[in-house]
Amino acid sequence: MFEQEDDIVERMIQQLRRPVAVDPALDARVLQAITAPRPSQRSVWPWLAAAALLGALTIWRPWSRGSAADRPDTLQFVLVAPQANSVSLVGDFNDWDPKRSPMRTANGIWAAVVQLAPGRYRYAFLVNGVEWRADPGAPAARDDEFGTPSSVVTVGGKGS
Amino acid sequence: MGIEKVESSDAELVRRVRAGDIGAYGVLVSRYRDRLGRYAIHMIGDREDAEEALQDSFVRAYRSLARCDDPARFGAWLYGILVNRCRTTGARAARRRRMFVRDPDALHGAAHADQSERLEWTDAVDRALARLAPQHREAFLLKHVEDLEYEEIAELTGAGVSALKMRVKRAREQLQRYLREAEHV
Repeated sequence: MFEQEDDIVERMIQQLRRPVAVDPALDARVLQAITAPRPSQRSVWPWLAAAALLGALTIWRPWSRGSAADRPDTLQFVLVAPQANSVSLVGDFNDWDPKRSPMRTANGIWAAVVQLAPGRYRYAFLVNGVEWRADPGAPAARDDEFGTPSSVVTVGGKGS
Repeated sequence: MGIEKVESSDAELVRRVRAGDIGAYGVLVSRYRDRLGRYAIHMIGDREDAEEALQDSFVRAYRSLARCDDPARFGAWLYGILVNRCRTTGARAARRRRMFVRDPDALHGAAHADQSERLEWTDAVDRALARLAPQHREAFLLKHVEDLEYEEIAELTGAGVSALKMRVKRAREQLQRYLREAEHV
């Protein structure tokens, strides 16, 4: 016995309307792509290009374009951590004090903006006040004497 | 408890992104990811290509955000970018003659008859959709699956309302035939 005319199509529509879960990592890939430096900027900030290829989540602010090498730069640090209740940015630039650079969240994407003078800094994310995480895309700090994961950011041309 | 939920409007988020808040764009991506992903997957038929098209659409939208005239309708504007991107991918995929091929072992290895029947039905739906002409599939999905009005679809696709109605009608007729054929195989 055939279904009523169009019933079979209605059944198909119901099937197609079911929610589809896209890989949540797509969010990070999009953020990574939009913050990757364009070709003309790569000669200025080569570490950012490398970091983008590696999956860096550290974001260079558009307004920092053209700043001189000896002036402070404004950087936005981003971590995708949907399960976290709190995330702080800690590093050489804030004496590793979690209270000084708390990160703000929007749908699990945590962000903090800091101004850094030219130089080389080690940093990490402190998740829920207890878990240390390095930046998944930035270069790892190999000279960190404290035994917890950390990353390195170099601002301007005076680092390393 | 838990993560602070941000329920800002699209217009507010677009305003923040334009002011340099990239995190706000992350909220928009996560807001539209699954819904637009569903359209891309059904339209293109290959999950990997669909996710690539989706990612590319989000990146293009970000880079062209200054051209979004009405930030309150960011979603509709984004849909337009994705519809165009899917057309390009669809044409490329057709050239490569990619078709839906479900793992035959999955069908034979289904533990229960009803599970096997469900897989066969899903397979029949995918195949029927893939057999439609791209313009018909596009109109059918936007109208019946994404639930858009004809006027909205006209805006997204550049086609006239009467042409779209005809495409949807043809798509329904063809789908009915393809699904009936599948039932009798």
